[in-house]
Amino acid sequence: MPTSLILAVLVITIALAGLVALRPGLTIARGGKILAFLAFFIFPVFAGLLGLENHMERAKQTSFCLSCHIMGQYGQSLYVDDASYIPAAHFQNGRVPRDQACYTCHTDYSMFGGFKAKFRGLHHIYAQYVTGPQLPVKLYHPYNNRECLHCHEGSRSFEQGVMHTADPQTMADIKSNKLSCTSSGCHDTIHNVKQLDHVKYWKPVQ
Amino acid sequence: MMLTQTPLNSRLRLSGSLIALGLLVQALSLLWNHPLSFIAFIGLGGLLVAGGIVLYLFTLVTIPSAGTEDINGNAKAQTPQT
Repeated sequence: MPTSLILAVLVITIALAGLVALRPGLTIARGGKILAFLAFFIFPVFAGLLGLENHMERAKQTSFCLSCHIMGQYGQSLYVDDASYIPAAHFQNGRVPRDQACYTCHTDYSMFGGFKAKFRGLHHIYAQYVTGPQLPVKLYHPYNNRECLHCHEGSRSFEQGVMHTADPQTMADIKSNKLSCTSSGCHDTIHNVKQLDHVKYWKPVQ
Repeated sequence: MMLTQTPLNSRLRLSGSLIALGLLVQALSLLWNHPLSFIAFIGLGGLLVAGGIVLYLFTLVTIPSAGTEDINGNAKAQTPQT
């Protein structure tokens, strides 16, 4: 739902709540009681849920993740002009939606994965503003192949890739997360923020 | 319409003010795309709204209405407080 519509609902609810607060005598009549119940319970809950849903959706946006200064270099790495940089290759070639690039790769594709991702987001805020961030930024857990396979499993380039099929055990290990996709020698160039001063950058055509 | 300041009225005023203030915070948080806006939405706006709703519901079950209605739902005059 558009933010403007949610704001309109919130403003109407504020007006109703304000009206009953300023004129509590209205609640003497039956109609006033109903108005108070709508203004003090039904509408605030409804408006709050709409706002919460809006915040949850916005939390998926790349611009939202990059609004924290500490994430700036990770956003910059999406524009590296080098196909070996996995996030950059995905971002630049539209393999992930550009406006939800961070979330698409860093959510959990499991039951309650979205909830876990949001909870981690709250932990990020705690780390940023309470304990202070620990540099360099690291993932809480090793990157799970499940997140890669959510899109790549079944695709020709993955299932019939030369390295993936060189040994029958390799594919089984990849799919069971025993052999990480980001293992050394495989797809091991990720954001690589330490090298950002020594790379070329892609400029999107406007 | 002038009304006597009954406990019911003052609680309705307070809960309405809490809800309106909380919703205002929530509305303002929607205009800011930053992780802290989510904290403001939940931690401040949500808390104020929840407090107002709880106070309103608590008022409904603890304070009997000063005014009453006849069988057709028409309001009768409010009893003056002593």
